[in-house]
Amino acid sequence: MTKILMKGNEALGEAAVRAGCVHFFGYPITPQTEIPEYLVKRLAQVGGTFVQAESEIAAIHMVMGASGVGVRCMTSSSSPGISLMAEGMSYIAACELPCVVVNMMRAGPGLGGILPAQSDYHQATRGHGHGDYQVIVLAPSSVQEAVDLMGLAFELAERWRNPVMVCADGMIGQMMEPVEFADGDGRGPPMPPNDWALGVREGRRRRIVNSLYLSPEELLAHNRKLKAKYDAIAATERRSELDAGAGGYDVLVVAFGTMARICRTAVDELRAEGLRPALFRPISLKPFPYPELRRALDAIDGDGPVLAVEMSMGQMVDDVRLAAEGTRRVLFHGTAGGVVPSPDDVAAEIRAALGAAVA
Amino acid sequence: MGEIHVAEERCKGCGLCIDACPRGLIAFSDHMNEKGYTVVTFVGERSACTGCAMCATACPDQGIEVWNKAGRQTFENTTGLTERMSHYCPGCTHGVIHRIAAECLQELGLLDRAVGIAPVGCSVLAYEYFNVDMFEAAHGRAPAVATGAKRARPECIVFTYQGDGDLCSIGGNEILHAANRGERITVIFVNNAIYGMTGGQMAPTTLPGQRTTTSPRGRDVESTGHPLRMAELLATLGTPGFIARGSAHDPAHVLRTKKLIKRAFELQRDGTCFTFVEVLSTCPTNWGLSPHEATEWLQDNMLPVFPLGVLKEPAAVAEGAA
Repeated sequence: MTKILMKGNEALGEAAVRAGCVHFFGYPITPQTEIPEYLVKRLAQVGGTFVQAESEIAAIHMVMGASGVGVRCMTSSSSPGISLMAEGMSYIAACELPCVVVNMMRAGPGLGGILPAQSDYHQATRGHGHGDYQVIVLAPSSVQEAVDLMGLAFELAERWRNPVMVCADGMIGQMMEPVEFADGDGRGPPMPPNDWALGVREGRRRRIVNSLYLSPEELLAHNRKLKAKYDAIAATERRSELDAGAGGYDVLVVAFGTMARICRTAVDELRAEGLRPALFRPISLKPFPYPELRRALDAIDGDGPVLAVEMSMGQMVDDVRLAAEGTRRVLFHGTAGGVVPSPDDVAAEIRAALGAAVA
Repeated sequence: MGEIHVAEERCKGCGLCIDACPRGLIAFSDHMNEKGYTVVTFVGERSACTGCAMCATACPDQGIEVWNKAGRQTFENTTGLTERMSHYCPGCTHGVIHRIAAECLQELGLLDRAVGIAPVGCSVLAYEYFNVDMFEAAHGRAPAVATGAKRARPECIVFTYQGDGDLCSIGGNEILHAANRGERITVIFVNNAIYGMTGGQMAPTTLPGQRTTTSPRGRDVESTGHPLRMAELLATLGTPGFIARGSAHDPAHVLRTKKLIKRAFELQRDGTCFTFVEVLSTCPTNWGLSPHEATEWLQDNMLPVFPLGVLKEPAAVAEGAA
């Protein structure tokens, strides 16, 4: 395999095609627009479908239509666009249709700005639209990992008949890095056979893709079925990474995506100074790796704290607190608005946290 | 002599068949069915019935089948609809529009590859009635769902069935752009000038001065605008399309509208263009009129605002025909 230098957004588009997704519906928004710009050319080569929708609302419902007739499909957007897709995400999840939604998060709230942020963590993990539904959320921290997670995203979407969000930030989308794509014919696996897709009937009974249940008992049963699925996803699809270092640690840093990468540099610098920080990185934000994080928290030496670092005013830190269940002091450092902390900023925060641990 | 068979359990007692019979051979009976509707019955001389099937054509509930003098069945219920009784109010012409659309799909042999998209509004349950694969879309989004389905499966005949609130109001953007992209889909747009499902609120198509629960003193065009004429609006687009308007208020108009819908499905089948058929429909319940009065109200008030006919032909077809 050879490495190619690619911009994150373009690499994501290529990864989607190689995962066998040749149906794309989307609307331009910075900082993800290179995804549709790449795919309009690439999909023409492979005979796929590209539609520039009139809005993110239309784009997500086009995804619903394509998914409902049984093809692998996706859309991509950025924060304000994801807000508009909230309605469709709820319907698609309710109808149990597979699809992938890329969110290259930018700074909010409102129109906010176009620079990277992680301030849509709550939106991604707590639901975008109405009702008791969940989507699987994967957070890459490099262009290579974004490529790898795109393949996984389609696999999970089809395994669980559920939307999967690849939740990155403008930094991942705009950065150029060397990437390599897995070997294969570049077409991805065939769609698994199913008993739900609409289309040419060829004698089978008709099918309905629907989320309306006027009977409260039936709607409760539908909600219970979905909940059982989400519980199974939470039990089997947690992904995370712990760098505990050698010989124990006095503070645990928790960060995801681009922020985890910056924390990685800070942790390495501090270790070179003889300090003992560790780094825990959730890869699946939903399901959140609570048990794994709890084990890592329990392994902090003494009463050392945990430090959540985010490009937001504090969102993932809520999940860190849930994992800790009051057993650790939970510290937070965050920026927002598109200001990306430097490794030195983070190192200073970790030092302070260690100082607090000593004091 | 002809013969009609009234399925009494399906009859909602709307009496539209009574209006439809050119010889006055149908009347209300003296008894009710299980649901409490006073059912219709054949009266008069059997020899007087010609089997013209105008009664069945007007019936919104697939309640009448007809045989002619030669003993040939002249009206048979379509297999394009399920046997399920609709939830529509007595005399509402949604049922008629469902039926003619389903008949067109059946007659063209397209039922096996039709994918329908139900809206939000009175026809939200259309997926229970059309005997084809169906989506139930979010409010107004049916043309977007149709776009995704048709682009992914061009071999399917994809149609949306939408009311005026769904299509003109909340879904205004989706229909405009699906039409402008020239999606090879068929849109059946049912315009009854009011919100039915939520109980009679003003729609974008509500007539000037028309009373609704949110325009209790009549629609004031100064503050709420004029009725949105979606067929005319879409006909202005540069993209080729088939844009037409029919009505379902009496059998003659139903038959003419059926021809428009059939043409739309044929054009989609041939991959020609975007196809859109608006159908004027009655809402006796929210208009506060009897089914009979509602058909007259449509005729007198809606036809002048929403003129019938073909508003736009796809250019290639028009040239070919010339």
